[in-house]
Amino acid sequence: MKKLQIRQLIEKIEGEAELDFTFNDGLIEDVKINFGFYRGIEEILKGKDARDALVITPRVCGICNHAHLLAAVRAIENGYENAGLKVNLSSKANDIREFTLACELIQNHVKWFYMTILPQLEAYIYQKSDENYAIKATYFASNITKALAIFAGQWPHSSYAVPGGVTCDPTHLDVMQAKSLIDESITFFEQVMTGLSLESYLNIDSVSDLHKIQGDLGKVLYKMGSHGMAKMGQSHDKFIVFGDCILSKPGKSIVTTVSNVDIRYVEEALQSGTVAKAVKYKNKLYEVGPLSRGMVAKTPIIKSFHKRYKDSLLTRVFARMHEVALLLDYNKKLLDNLQLDEPSCILDSDVGFYEFEGVGVVEAARGSLIHKTTVKCGVITNYDIITPTQWNLSHGTKDEQGVAIEAMIGSQSMEEATFIFRTFDVCSVCTTQ
Amino acid sequence: MITESYKPKLLWLQSITCNGNTHSFLNHPNLFSILSHFEIMHHPVLEGAYTMDDVIKGTVACDVLIVEGSFTETKFLKAGVEVSSLMKIYADKAKHIISAGTCATFGGIFKQKDPENISGFCFDLEEKTSRYVQYASKLISLPGCPVHPKWLSYVLLMIANNTKINIDNLHRPVELYGYTVHTGCTRNEYFEWKIDAKNFGLKEGCLFYEQGCQGPYTRGSCNKILWNDTSSKTRVGTPCFGCTEPNYPQESLFRTKTNMGIPAKMPLGIPRRAYLILTGVAKSFKIKRFSEKLLEYDK
Amino acid sequence: MKIADKKALKRESIIQTALQLFSSNGFHKTTIPDIAAKLHISVGNVYNYFSSKNILAQEIIKYTSEALGEKIQVVNMSDASAEEKIHEIVMIYFTMSKEKPEMIEYFLRVYLSNRDVFTDGCDGMVCVSGFITEIMIFFDDAVSSGELRNQDFFSAFGLFMGYLGGMVFLKGEDVLPKEIEFYIDDISRNIYNALKAE
Repeated sequence: MKKLQIRQLIEKIEGEAELDFTFNDGLIEDVKINFGFYRGIEEILKGKDARDALVITPRVCGICNHAHLLAAVRAIENGYENAGLKVNLSSKANDIREFTLACELIQNHVKWFYMTILPQLEAYIYQKSDENYAIKATYFASNITKALAIFAGQWPHSSYAVPGGVTCDPTHLDVMQAKSLIDESITFFEQVMTGLSLESYLNIDSVSDLHKIQGDLGKVLYKMGSHGMAKMGQSHDKFIVFGDCILSKPGKSIVTTVSNVDIRYVEEALQSGTVAKAVKYKNKLYEVGPLSRGMVAKTPIIKSFHKRYKDSLLTRVFARMHEVALLLDYNKKLLDNLQLDEPSCILDSDVGFYEFEGVGVVEAARGSLIHKTTVKCGVITNYDIITPTQWNLSHGTKDEQGVAIEAMIGSQSMEEATFIFRTFDVCSVCTTQ
Repeated sequence: MITESYKPKLLWLQSITCNGNTHSFLNHPNLFSILSHFEIMHHPVLEGAYTMDDVIKGTVACDVLIVEGSFTETKFLKAGVEVSSLMKIYADKAKHIISAGTCATFGGIFKQKDPENISGFCFDLEEKTSRYVQYASKLISLPGCPVHPKWLSYVLLMIANNTKINIDNLHRPVELYGYTVHTGCTRNEYFEWKIDAKNFGLKEGCLFYEQGCQGPYTRGSCNKILWNDTSSKTRVGTPCFGCTEPNYPQESLFRTKTNMGIPAKMPLGIPRRAYLILTGVAKSFKIKRFSEKLLEYDK
Repeated sequence: MKIADKKALKRESIIQTALQLFSSNGFHKTTIPDIAAKLHISVGNVYNYFSSKNILAQEIIKYTSEALGEKIQVVNMSDASAEEKIHEIVMIYFTMSKEKPEMIEYFLRVYLSNRDVFTDGCDGMVCVSGFITEIMIFFDDAVSSGELRNQDFFSAFGLFMGYLGGMVFLKGEDVLPKEIEFYIDDISRNIYNALKAE
């Protein structure tokens, strides 16, 4: 039994992490994922006004700040409801929030695709090309965040969602500009990423039609498929979703069996050797993210992928990119149906509630994001943030290995394991808030 | 445009950060033409000539150093090496040091976790640190939470063009920070005539008097060089939170602090008496146009 | 003496004469010719400075506000505590009511009682801003230093000025048994106790 331990710094995961690989007879037997520093946002929030969370929590993360904003505002609104105030957002405010959130997810997935997956895949299979993939990602991202900024003022770090709705008061001119930007994004998806119209792409519901996908996505699927990645990166095949949005309703999927979830059974715990906290549901580990959403929602193409390729790396990558199409389509519909004459914000800016406790949930790019706020005398006495990456990177219990760790076990090299790790779209800064 | 002349070596080093400045810069519509003036040694997301492991060895060349994130002397390591030591190694090598974002410039949000030990790279709030003494001659401050991509590109292009950048006493480029966020806000008329927004969600009303807007005394050009080429916080009805200022973040960001109804902080450079007299006069008049909606639609 | 200074003096003398006549004969009974006669100048001359009686009335309120405001500004610029400043302001107000009764009386009996004269040109608080601004500054400083309780401006203003105005009104009605200076200490203490921080 030749055991070997190697520590490797992984970079470009919205920060860095250190992975301790344990090799046994040439195969990876265990991995410990370590983060060395946390910034203490939860502590910084103590003693601040309840609504200051709308400004501070987005600064947990530079790429998913909008998701944090929405989780924070939902936590306050939930708190108001628990304290007896009914909060009925107008459909306009709700749609605008969903629209901007979708924009953030879309830019995240496309950036990850072109700046992480494509170059790392090519490096891994020794097919490095000279093509500047990043320019595609940044072109696309700057377009779609522009659409987001029409309503939210700016990206990153908007605070335009306030208790009761949104601060913006958009006109038809604003909506038309946003539509044109979404159309441009769809054109990019069609012409550069898939070679298919959005409608044709969304009609694909079986892996037997995968060959129809051309473009950069087609290229990646083909390369992954032909390098055995349909059999790599499998984990526990257990998925969980807490948010409620177009991509999925809340629920868990154990392999393909879907059942309900209750957020009260979510628990965080400290882990040795790292500042990142572990998260469990009823003491078990679950995967969060686009694949989880696809499994819980039983999206036909995801079901088909899973049937053939289980929760492999290939399925996981596809599931994330599939959300780009779903969300672009959703955003187009949201703009078409936006009711501009409804009020933007139905609560006063000072509702006069100073004691409350609330939970806000959002399906962020990487999975379920949970914020919990406790407010007394108008100030925050406690704030908990549970990020999606915490779920996927938890170290594991005595019964089962962590989700990402399980996916890496059995790998033959650090390169293989690292590539698998990256397909989870890890966010270091979210984990170390 | 790529020419044969020397391209300065650019290194983007992260300290205690959320990556917001990195992603803000990636939004620049002309990102790659700007970067073509430089040779990227390392960047948190984009491909560079070297890996993080190389950077941590301290041996990578560096002409232009961009630091992102708050600074702390000890207990913040990457691969076992104190980031503070890396920052100093590269700051010594660099000919230009840009502190991108409020955290790197003054300390920002993350300073609040440990105010004694966490600060900006050269400034601790507004105080000069020992590192200021050492690096002031090369320092450009670009506070903002996050920094605006065009503020960063302005500095990079000025450097690539060998043009001197005019800076103020906190090393902020005057062409960017000489304005206030108030300059160019679409709600200016409401500020002028003291029509205050009582709540959120409408185009009408100024956010300064009651909703916490710090635009009139915050240095920045957000309403002049728009965000994402499109908008700004105040244009969509969100108050400015003063994110470029040394004392950011302050308390009660959504509320204007008042003493007996008088704003505790005056617009930049405006004497209190002048503001109060002007406000008193403005509030005495009822301008019909401002009591109505800005845009009237057919029913 | 420069022409501009002469004009300013002339203007002020018209105002002061007007104030006295309004005080002794009543606002409505006093005419521009009466004022001109008292000053031994022509009616046309008066109209050179003030194009109507209403305009004159408005300029007088600005004048009296500024006169009071200037004195209170001196108090505001001093280093005294809020409690001491309140005492000073009360003293200024009551001293003026004694030495130049026509000024305070004008405010109470002409400005407050003839709103129609002042609506066009003295909208809202425009004409009394000289005085109001100094009270605002006093409040701002005192709350900022933690001496007075933070509250709505008008609650505090009403208490302070309503009280002082009321006392001067009673004095004008000859109802107060003692000289007005006698009341300064108690009134200052009452105001401070009502407004001070807990």
